[in-house]
This record gives sequence, C-alpha cells and structure tokens, in this order.
Amino acid sequence: MSKYVIETKQLTKNYGEQTAVNAVNIHVEKGRIYGLLGRNGAGKTTIMKMILGLTPVTSGEVDVFGQNIKGREKRVYPRIGAIIETPGFYPNLTGTENLEIFAKLRGTAAPNAVKNALGIVGLPYRDKKLFSKYSLGMKQRLGIANAILHDPELLILDEPTNGLDPIGIAEVRGFIKALSTERGKTILISSHILSEIALLADDIGIIDHGVLLEENSMEVLEEKNSKYILLQVSDIPKTSLVLERQFGVTDYSVQDDHFLRIYNTSLDMAAVNKALVVQDVAVISSQLCNDTLEDYFKKITGGEGIA
Amino acid sequence: MQFYKWTAFSYTPWVILPVVLGVVSTMLMYDEHQNDMLKQLWIIPVSRAGYFFSKFTIVLFYSICFMLLTAAASVFFGTLPGYITVEWGSIVYLLRKCVEIAILTAFSVLPLLTVAASGKSYIFPVCVTLVYTFLGFILLMVNMYLHPLSSMTAIVMRDIPGVVLTQKLNIPAAFICIAIWCTGSALFAVSSLGKRK
Ligand SMILES: Nc1ncnc2c1ncn2[C@@H]1O[C@H](COP(=O)(O)OP(=O)(O)OP(=O)(O)O)[C@@H](O)[C@H]1O
Ligand SMILES: [Mg+2]
Repeated sequence: MSKYVIETKQLTKNYGEQTAVNAVNIHVEKGRIYGLLGRNGAGKTTIMKMILGLTPVTSGEVDVFGQNIKGREKRVYPRIGAIIETPGFYPNLTGTENLEIFAKLRGTAAPNAVKNALGIVGLPYRDKKLFSKYSLGMKQRLGIANAILHDPELLILDEPTNGLDPIGIAEVRGFIKALSTERGKTILISSHILSEIALLADDIGIIDHGVLLEENSMEVLEEKNSKYILLQVSDIPKTSLVLERQFGVTDYSVQDDHFLRIYNTSLDMAAVNKALVVQDVAVISSQLCNDTLEDYFKKITGGEGIA
Repeated sequence: MQFYKWTAFSYTPWVILPVVLGVVSTMLMYDEHQNDMLKQLWIIPVSRAGYFFSKFTIVLFYSICFMLLTAAASVFFGTLPGYITVEWGSIVYLLRKCVEIAILTAFSVLPLLTVAASGKSYIFPVCVTLVYTFLGFILLMVNMYLHPLSSMTAIVMRDIPGVVLTQKLNIPAAFICIAIWCTGSALFAVSSLGKRK
C-alpha cells in the first residue's frame, strides 16, 4: 500500500494536437489538503477529470487509494466527493429536492445527510427557492453540499470558491479546513488564487501549461516567502565572526563566496557595517530583500498574473 | 368497429405517437445534458446503461398512457352520440391493440432516444424524429422489414379486421428488425454516453 491517497504517474492528456496535461506526478497524502494552483487553462480541471475517470487518459496512470483506478471506478466513487467546474442541478427543483435525488441515487447516505450537508455549507433546509433562482455563490455551495453528502474520505474540489464573495470564501475555507482537521478527510482542491491556497493547503502543486512545476509542502514554500538582508562582502568567514561575536546573530545563511543572508531584519546595519570595516572587511552592498510567495510563483511560472 | 378503427388506428399510432415519443425522448435527455449534470451522475456512480434504460422506461410508460388515453377517448366519443353500442368484446380488443401499439412503438423509437442521448442539442433530435417517422411511412410501401416503425406496423396489422395488405406479412422478420435496431441503438447510446469528454 502506498501512503498516498492519490498518486498520478506521468499523467498526460492530449486534446488533438494540444497537450493539456504533460507528464504530471502529483502525490496527495492522507488527511492533508493538497492545493493545485495554476492559471486559467493550466490543466487543473483536466487533471481532476482524469483522476475521476471522467475523461480518458492519453497516457500515464492514476492511483486512488493505493491502486490504479481503471476498472475500479464503481467501488471507488462512493468514497469520493467531487465538484468539477460549476456543478449542475435540476433548475426546476429546490436545492433540498436536488440533494434528495442525489442522496437517493447514492443509496448509502445517512437519513439526515441532506440536512447536515446543507447545514455545513450554510444553505437553508427545505427552502422554497428553485435552483434556477439561486445566486452563483448559492449554486456553488449546493455543489459542495452534494460533494460531502455521503461523507466521503476524499474530496476533489475544482475551484469551490468560484463566484463566492470574500466572506463566503472565508466560510468555505473554514469548513474545508474543519473537514480536514476534525474529520481527517483528504482534500484535493484547485484554484487560481494563490492567497486562497496559501491559507488552506498543507501541500501545493503548481501547474502551468500542463506541466507540474513544483510540488512541495507549505512549510518549505513558506521559507521562500521571507524577508532578509542580503549582504555582499569581501570576506565571508570574517563577517560570520563579527556577526556571531559582536551582534549575537545566528540565523543567517551563506549563499556563496560573497553573499550572505541575515534573517533578522531589525539588525542595526550601520553598526554592522562599521564593525566590518574595522575588521577590514569591505561591504560591497547591503539590501533588504522581501521575497513573497507571489514573487516566487511569478518567477517559476515565468510570467505575470498568478495570485 | 369501423369507428374505433378510424379513431384509434388511423394516424395516432403511425404518425402522432412516434413524433410525440421522439419529442418526449429529447426532453427527457435534455435536462441532464443542458445543466451539465452527467459528470455528477457518473461519479455517484450511475451506470450508463442504467441511466439509458431508466429513460427508456419513462418513454415506454408514457407511450402506454398515451395510447390508453386514445383508446378511452375513442370509446367515450364513440358512445356519446350513440353512434355505436358498446360491446365488451370490441373494447377489450381495442385496449389490447392499443397497449400492443404503445409497447412496440416505444421500442421502435429507441433510436431517437439514442440520438437525443448522444448530443447536447435539442433541435437536431426533433428533426431526426420527423425524418425518422416519415421514413417509416415511406418504407412501409417498399420493404416493411427495414425500418422499425414499418415493422411495427406489420406486426400490428396482422389481426386488424378489414385491412387488406398488399404484402404478405412476415411477423418474425418484423420482430427481428425491431430487435436489431433496438440493440444497435442501445449499444451506441451507452458507448456515446461513456466516452463523453
Ligand atoms: N474538451 C476539451 N477539448 C479540447 N480542449 C480542452 C477540453 N477541455 C480542456 N481543454 C484545454 O485544455 C487546457 C486545460 O484546460 P483546463 O480546463 O484543465 O484548465 P484549468 O486549469 O481548469 O483552467 P481554469 O482555471 O480556467 O478552470 C486548456 O487549454 C483547454 O483549452
Ligand atoms: Mg478549471
């Protein structure tokens, strides 16, 4: 048994000439929230569709719950809840009626599952409003309610906060987090909004033009989201000594022969400079650097506009 | 007797019923397609075949209701002005015939359900319905065993008194024709629902 709930191996999808997903290996660990981040058209939805077997895989493999999904869909689906793009429902029925149909089709849902699910997403139970009269945010919430109706172990949510207002986004984020921490659900979520993923996910996969550029835990990525003073000096060992002996600075790192990063940004740089000059170390430059995750993503996706 | 024949067996089964059923089929498939619900159904999971045949069951049920209403209406309007006296025998015959037509027609229009299932559009299946019904009518004169609707006609005509047929009836051939069309279109429908992008 692998420790991953979802694992893709060289997953590839071609639409005619165009390669929408290119040799993607993602690893979603049990009980964690995995955020798939990418710009419009990056291939997030396509990956999720392939994981669910909703669209044929061109090449590669999808393992769900430790085994290849091919041929096991019927047994695996009851353990998964998903929304893909905008969820569809019967427009001429109310939200509750719609969910009751889905609950009946699933057959396994608990008797008050519909009420619970609506409660979680904050929609009224037995409301008279027809689905066609729902606002975009309400539709999206109903979609999430449908995904969690049968209390699945794994949730696959494609842009679940699409169309929600900021308060709604915070609410949805709140209960997605709760589903993960309180009920131990594994969640794969996609978004093109960096801040949203950053607040929610434990692991992040960044995808651009169908290629997975980076996959890492949030902690590792957070390190790249840091403020530091970049110091360019003529002599690194001497500088280290000065920093440690005279200023008690230990959280710094040596980048190469001439560059050094000091993470304590409140350090009195004037005093440091003076002390270094006294020690005969030339300070070539000193600057305050502030790398944000956003900058980082811009850098690795090679462009503007993520976030 | 003549009257019943005129009402229940004239245009109703050969033209109106197939067209109505074609439109019903289109409408039945329309909701899930148009609202993009299929992706949600498949991952419940709902089987493609189960989905298709549940839709067909509704068509069948609708068809039977429609023909029973037709039968009831012809009896009612037949007795009302006192044209004819009610004979139980003929009423039972009429009902039996109507149910027979209903079931056979429902099976004969299965290809229309397939057309409705394999596309999102709404106009196309309706057009196909008209062409399909019309073709059934034309082929009736040429070869009854090519088109399900004309085969259905052949089966129904076999014991209607007073109908003179130019061709000799071959009931097994008619059944085979319907069976082939049904199987083919059911298979096609299930596979086209399956390979949705
Ligand atoms: N059915 C299809 N036929 C042809 N091309 C498709 C199809 N579906 C998606 N694509 C293409 O595949 C690429 C990836 O699309 P996908 O929907 O996975 O992007 P996405 O990351 O979900 O974007 P968004 O943030 O806009 O939802 C796009 O270039 C899109 O045009
Ligand atoms: Mg998408």
